[in-house]
Amino acid sequence: MYEKEFQFIFNYASSKADDIEILLSSNKSFSVKIHNQEIESFNYADAKGIGVRVIKDDKVGYAYTEEFNEKTLRVIVDQAVENSSFSEDADKIEFSSYPDIPRRPRVYSRKLDAVDVASKIDFTKKVERIAREADKRIINVPFATFGDGRSFIKIANSRGLHKEDRQNYAYAVVGVLAAEKDDKRAGFDFIISRNFSDFDPHKLAVKSVEKAIGLLGGREIASGGYPIIFNNEMMATMLATFSSIFSAQSVQEGKSLLKGRLNKIIASNKVTIIDDALHKKGFSTRSFDSEGYPSQKTVLIDKGKLIGYLHNTITARKDRVSSTGNAARDYKGILSVSPTNFFLKPGNVTSNELYSRHARLIEIVSLQGMHAGANTISGDFSLSAEGFLYEQGERKDSLKQFTVSGNILQMLKDVEDIADDFIFDTSACGSASVLIKKLAVSSR
Amino acid sequence: MISKHLLLKVLDKALSNGADFADIFVESTYNSLINYNDNKTKQNIVGRDQGAGVRVFYGQSAIYAYTNDLSEKALIAAAAAVSQAARGKSDGKVINLTVRKNFDRHPVAIPSDTVSRRDKIDFIKQINDSSRNYSDLISQVDITLIEKIQKVLIVNSEGLLTEDMRNYARVNVISIASRGTEKQTGWEGPGGLAGYEFFKSLDPAALGRNTASRAVTMLQADYAPGGKMPVIIDNGFGGVIFHEACGHSLETTSVAKGASIFAGKMGEQIASPLVTAIDDGTIPNAWGSENIDDEGLPTRKTVLIENGILKSYMVDRMGSVKTGYETTGSGRKQSYKFAPASRMRNTYIAAGKSKLEDLIASTELGIYAKKMGGGSVMPGTGNFNFAVSEAYLIKKGKIQEPVRGVTLIGNGGDILKKISMIADNLALSQGMCGSVSGSVPANVGQPAIKVDEITIGGRK
Repeated sequence: MYEKEFQFIFNYASSKADDIEILLSSNKSFSVKIHNQEIESFNYADAKGIGVRVIKDDKVGYAYTEEFNEKTLRVIVDQAVENSSFSEDADKIEFSSYPDIPRRPRVYSRKLDAVDVASKIDFTKKVERIAREADKRIINVPFATFGDGRSFIKIANSRGLHKEDRQNYAYAVVGVLAAEKDDKRAGFDFIISRNFSDFDPHKLAVKSVEKAIGLLGGREIASGGYPIIFNNEMMATMLATFSSIFSAQSVQEGKSLLKGRLNKIIASNKVTIIDDALHKKGFSTRSFDSEGYPSQKTVLIDKGKLIGYLHNTITARKDRVSSTGNAARDYKGILSVSPTNFFLKPGNVTSNELYSRHARLIEIVSLQGMHAGANTISGDFSLSAEGFLYEQGERKDSLKQFTVSGNILQMLKDVEDIADDFIFDTSACGSASVLIKKLAVSSR
Repeated sequence: MISKHLLLKVLDKALSNGADFADIFVESTYNSLINYNDNKTKQNIVGRDQGAGVRVFYGQSAIYAYTNDLSEKALIAAAAAVSQAARGKSDGKVINLTVRKNFDRHPVAIPSDTVSRRDKIDFIKQINDSSRNYSDLISQVDITLIEKIQKVLIVNSEGLLTEDMRNYARVNVISIASRGTEKQTGWEGPGGLAGYEFFKSLDPAALGRNTASRAVTMLQADYAPGGKMPVIIDNGFGGVIFHEACGHSLETTSVAKGASIFAGKMGEQIASPLVTAIDDGTIPNAWGSENIDDEGLPTRKTVLIENGILKSYMVDRMGSVKTGYETTGSGRKQSYKFAPASRMRNTYIAAGKSKLEDLIASTELGIYAKKMGGGSVMPGTGNFNFAVSEAYLIKKGKIQEPVRGVTLIGNGGDILKKISMIADNLALSQGMCGSVSGSVPANVGQPAIKVDEITIGGRK
């Protein structure tokens, strides 16, 4: 697909730029949202774009378009060449024809594409109805959504690289609101899968209802330091929030806390953090990155020791290492580094054991304000949280909204143990439940 | 961009299965971004977005399809997709489209795409140099110049055809101060619905200095205490608290579902009688302004709360269908990739009569939140959280040492009632507001306010 456009750009650019890379992505998606058993919204999307990256006199320039006629294709090459003349980045850039991985992961299901719209609506209506009727304390189901999509990516460069891939996916999310007396609590749950039979409306609805109902009737707890368990979902959320500190780009720009810490112990020996673009269960699984570089598994922290950063070929060349296949770019943007399936390796204790480690501890099951209350540059966080008080391993009380504060590096050092209940969350970050020795809690 | 004849054909196709209403939104946008950090131009990209969205209503359902292929075939296919989902009983047909010209409240002197990259980079360098010259503790400065010229065309089955052109200009400055392994940041991000003249009106040296000074101050600060305390939230970006904790709950998107704490409260006292709050899209060249909303309706000035009484929600077309309230020209969206929803424009608490000094002097022990960071609110419960990026302790009516790591948590319905003093120093500040219809430019604003009790998330 799009051979004509690619050839046109290559031909036109051959006299204008020293080298060129062309990235095309196209996405088709669908979503339906149900409220009170009626279709609240129904969306179809079909969009594509081309971005070019040119090298001229060792300088790089970018431009993109969503309009695919010959005139605009010429314009983006000209603009990219013009933009390159202002580049002051001394980082050396080279394009290359990277090899393919031996066996590509399966990221496309024909069967999923064949699911009809009526079944998707039916599923979503069921989720909404079951959630609404599950408990009389459920006062609203603000959203019940099913969505799916297909994406196609094509990348080629003037050094002979030419790769394409297609993916599809489906997801469902439901949010419920429960109330009792003057306490209101929300509960959310989701499914992501390529297999439509994984979409069990009952399981999804009941899980979100249980989350909201369980939190009702909270009490306040005295401010102070407590042992804290982040449940698997919330630990994954914490990892997602702070994953950028592992980017070699952030390190090289002096924006990461991990600058100068390579080969040092920076976390508890229980902590192993991995980025694996080939993980079978991950939601960011792919064969190659946005430079066409082959995907791999990269260990970042090994039993507490920082052994690597995430790289694209530019940051890798600067550090004299190999790329880890973490180049990220959409057609509108410039090249950066980002994680794929990014996770904390699970431990081998059961969650029951973990919750019994301290006579008294707080479990965090919900966090808000990640973009405001967590500073990825300083590592400091102060987040609005919900959760439960545990005593002798038993869940005692739900707690009124509180804040949990600390610093991510100190927290990784204070990891006491990790359970075996591993999950991936919606951001493709994964974790099991994690016990932290102590964090500050503010409430009353 | 697209002929009137084709627009009519697409509308007819969209209505063909009995929909009550149809509209088409067509966009062509010039985007430019320059990012400068590490003393270098790191990103320099321009591009063109284009696309169209076709929407229909039947009953209380909204169906939306978008494509960035503007050929007749693709547009008719999008219209066919939405019409198939609309099993309505209306038999509407559009006879003709009447052009409505809008008065341009937001004139542009120097369109963004007419200024050289060299001039823009020079402007950025002045900010960078000023920040770095402020202190040796400044380890990094990250500056992003964002410009956009969005041309929109909106037609609907009521026969409307109207257009708008929106030129946005904004610069985001982050200065980072470091000592050992510790880092703190200072941020400012002025912007306007204006051309390059907006940047010319700014003082780049002051932008560098102010962000640097905030980062250095916070680097020298100790952690804040936790617990419940009175808080004085200063003007400008302090308005983010009203935006997040109350504004979103006044959008019909949440009101219509009963998912808002303010649903069913029209005419009731929902805030301290000191509070008057306004959402105004008409302020000339303001960041959250426009001439028409993304449903083609003229923008307005909407009084949301007057002396504590709830006077109006922010209402888009579907919100109007669902709640019965008249539209307020509040249907906004990020781009053709989103269906519109009721959104804020320039939202602020009106000036009061007190002086900032009086607010401070009246506080025995509390927090002075000079500059707010971002925040979020849980829809339905109204629970919010905000980071404070520059905070000081108040002791015995006087501002004392800076404190870091302050988070404010509470409930939107609650906090409005706990506002006990409002100062006279109203100012607006720019932000990007994210919600169901994407990320849109919005101003937050307020004078300094005193809230008698908020939970402070601190570490001591």
